[in-house]
Amino acid sequence: MAAVLNGVLEQSLAENVKNSKLLVVGAGGIGCEVLKNLVLTGFKSIEVIDLDTIDVSNLNRQFLFRKEHVGKSKAQVAKESVLKFNPDVNITAYHDSIFNPEYDVNFFKKFTLVMNALDNKAARNHVNRMCLAADIPLVESGTAGYLGQVTVIKKGLTECYECQPKAPQKTFPGCTIRNTPSEPVHCVVWAKHLFNQLFGEEDPDQDVSPDTEDPELTAEAGQSALETAAKENEVGGIERKSTRVWAMETGYDPEKLFNKLFRDDIKYLLSMETLWKKRRPPEPLSIDSLPTDIDSSNQSAMRDQRLWSVKECFDIFGKCLEALKKELAAQGDSGMLVWDKDDTIAMDFVASVANIRAHIFGIPMKTRFDIKSMAGNIIPAIATTNAVIAGLLIMEAFKILSGRLSACKTVYLNRVPNDRHRLLIPCTLDPPNPKCYVCAPKPEVTVVLNTSRFKVGALQDKVLKSHLGMVAPDVEIDDGKGTILISSEEGETEENNDKLLSDFGIRNGTRLKCDDFLQVYSLIITIVQTEKLEEEKEFEVVGDLSELQPKEETQTNRSKDQANGSKAGPSHAAAQDEDDDLMVVEDEEAMEQQAAQEERSSRKRKASDDTGATTTSKRSKVTDSAAAECDVIEIS
Amino acid sequence: MTADTKSKEENITEDEAALYDRQIRLWGLDAQRRLRAASVLLIGARGLGAEVAKNIVLAGIKSLTILDSTVADEEDTASQFLIPRSELGKNRAEASMERTQLLNPMVQVTAETCSIDDKDDAFLASFDVICATGCGPTTLLRLDKVCRANGVKFYAGDVFGFYGYMFADLCTHEYAEDVTKPKASEKQVTDGGEGEPSPKKAKMEEPETTTVKKSMTFPSLETVLNTKFDTATSEGKKKLRLVPNTFFITKVMLKFLEKEKRSPASVKLDSDRRELNGLRHQVLHEMGVGDSKVPEEFSQFCFGQLSPVCAVVGGILGQEIIKAVSQKDAPHNNFFFYNGTDDGGFVTSIGS
Repeated sequence: MAAVLNGVLEQSLAENVKNSKLLVVGAGGIGCEVLKNLVLTGFKSIEVIDLDTIDVSNLNRQFLFRKEHVGKSKAQVAKESVLKFNPDVNITAYHDSIFNPEYDVNFFKKFTLVMNALDNKAARNHVNRMCLAADIPLVESGTAGYLGQVTVIKKGLTECYECQPKAPQKTFPGCTIRNTPSEPVHCVVWAKHLFNQLFGEEDPDQDVSPDTEDPELTAEAGQSALETAAKENEVGGIERKSTRVWAMETGYDPEKLFNKLFRDDIKYLLSMETLWKKRRPPEPLSIDSLPTDIDSSNQSAMRDQRLWSVKECFDIFGKCLEALKKELAAQGDSGMLVWDKDDTIAMDFVASVANIRAHIFGIPMKTRFDIKSMAGNIIPAIATTNAVIAGLLIMEAFKILSGRLSACKTVYLNRVPNDRHRLLIPCTLDPPNPKCYVCAPKPEVTVVLNTSRFKVGALQDKVLKSHLGMVAPDVEIDDGKGTILISSEEGETEENNDKLLSDFGIRNGTRLKCDDFLQVYSLIITIVQTEKLEEEKEFEVVGDLSELQPKEETQTNRSKDQANGSKAGPSHAAAQDEDDDLMVVEDEEAMEQQAAQEERSSRKRKASDDTGATTTSKRSKVTDSAAAECDVIEIS
Repeated sequence: MTADTKSKEENITEDEAALYDRQIRLWGLDAQRRLRAASVLLIGARGLGAEVAKNIVLAGIKSLTILDSTVADEEDTASQFLIPRSELGKNRAEASMERTQLLNPMVQVTAETCSIDDKDDAFLASFDVICATGCGPTTLLRLDKVCRANGVKFYAGDVFGFYGYMFADLCTHEYAEDVTKPKASEKQVTDGGEGEPSPKKAKMEEPETTTVKKSMTFPSLETVLNTKFDTATSEGKKKLRLVPNTFFITKVMLKFLEKEKRSPASVKLDSDRRELNGLRHQVLHEMGVGDSKVPEEFSQFCFGQLSPVCAVVGGILGQEIIKAVSQKDAPHNNFFFYNGTDDGGFVTSIGS
């Protein structure tokens, strides 16, 4: 029985549908919908890959999965489910990471086209590069809540996924987190940092103690605060000792920890008087008189949905400490816990701690449900948006299969129609950015950092892998001698990791030749030496040096406006006012992972801010809020 | 019967909270409570019907009644994923039951195998929402009338190949909308430190969200279908220009449904195409608009129910039903049109 019925599709398209071979990357929210559409439409040969397993919170939209499938491979169950819709399809399912080197350029080359149904930037970047290397068209998609988008990427014809810088992620200055929180999320971030300081991987960037280097403090004020505090707090044991070591010595005693974190450290902060001239000063808490009242009328029966009193928070804090202490001990000497929003105790810990701190600073307390959203960076996700986007994804695939690549569009699904009544907003695809550090013929990028403080290991992990999306980079210094700085072969250059870039003679203007064999990607990095970057940044990546100068040209992008029939205004700002400027979206899991990852890795990723991103113009395509972990493929 | 009064009493269970977590984070607990009190009648269990059923059952309505008096045929294999292939030749509603139920065991799913035209008004009035797919204009007009008289939210929709539409008549609909207004931002911190530029720019506090009650009025289907376009005036011309071609294509298709009591069938490709081309001319003429409103080649793209088109239209339609019963957010008033041949996806108000 043919799903492609006579007269529904043009004959040539119907033939191409039948004969094409597709790769679907991701079998989550969009992936399930895409697979359904594909088998019904008459595609005969499909491969699907997803690393993830099924979770209860997927079942409200990932309709190929049911309760009894929880814990099983998404790719495998999705395959079995859609085969029931159409048994005459050849489907191969991989429960695996797309980063696995098995999926090399030759693997990608066997497909007619690739469909991304992913939820994180790292995997999107990687598939983008693999499709560029294999010269296979890629249909890219994403959703967030009511918003969604689909676009098409074809080497040499369109922008690639990385042609435009993605909206930066929201991070908070360390001093806001440590000294002067003003929003609930600041307290949530602090609580997660505390979790890691006490039980997880210790990270100097996640210090939870008062920050005496707060730029708001004049050097003098900071110094005097230090001195006063040193005198005052000897009893509290606040001397500069690792929080972890100190906490372990106390046996994770809830009272001692509470007194240090919520009384003594707060008193110490109060001594930095400059901070409180224009702010409400924090109020140190005393265990003997914790408030038991709650200032909310909305007291739902569900534990997640009601506000906890400070006293209740303290009790929960104590119970969590006890349980986490045991969990940590069970792991042996070098054990370490990884924070997970779905781990009840880890989540309780963060919720109680965040609320106690919020109370101290006069910030509204939040329910555990709300704190989970913030701490887990959960992007809401619904079946209907995914269904629409998956449908549009197939419609773009039809154009590719009809040989009408030029008709392909970026299509946005908005929450409300624009003033031209469009709910779906098609935008013409832009040509590749000639300065793109990924798809340009000879990709180049400039990295600004301090070579006498930056280590080779950080260059590999933070710059090349995390920021520039490489999987297994090889780096050679372009010094005429071909010095190998980093090798992807295990054991060859590990000893370099702790050395500074300057130890290898790298200085202002040095060029590094970077290669990633899996991605068939070569990049020349030019190092620009700087003593210090703004806002605690360790390094900055710029497309090319001219970007370091003030921007002049903003006029590259009129085409999308015209595609919408909107007036191509003379200024960028005018175009942004049209309400078809894009909504930027991202998938839910991305955000979740991002949060978890954010704390673990020291990359500075920002919680995405969908609305914020819209201000950057419709150019920003899928914004990745989130850069999630490099080895996860999944999607919503 | 209002979903409101009875739902407030029951609280969402922990199991429901876990299952619906990602959507509760989007539309809130109140909306979810109203959703789980809603009973929906879905007429027509072909490709579009399957998409709508999937979307609203997953979302967690109280009950879904699927009504269809026709039997599944080969066309269903290209879009109706709720009907197993082994069930071809059997009643579409009944054949869809099992898989619909598996989507969400918490929803009550029932099937009705008689024609909607044989159902009395009292039956119709017992639902919170009626969504009619694959129906001709006579049936739609009756349904709309009964729904208006009984305070039932009414939706109609269909997919014709690459084209699809959704129509909504919610009479007078009251809903809540979250309005966010950023609080007065924190004052610039002007610390006494000299030379040290303060990085603490004014920053936004958490935006304050207030919920506002609003109301919207919809024209009846009768008004909508009788809408004429006065092309003599410039205002009339402007109005006409804003109407997507899919509206006129929909009118042609409704005419076909009325006449043939079936959708165009790929087994009768050539004769149905000829008929559609004839109807195109007739309908456009009757409405007083030029032939150019519907592209001539439309009859090559309007057969069957293309799965991705069902997904798009069923996605929008499903979301509108969710909006209506949860009384959250402004509904689309009163049409959504999708045209897969030119990427058009419009919300258009016709007849008001």
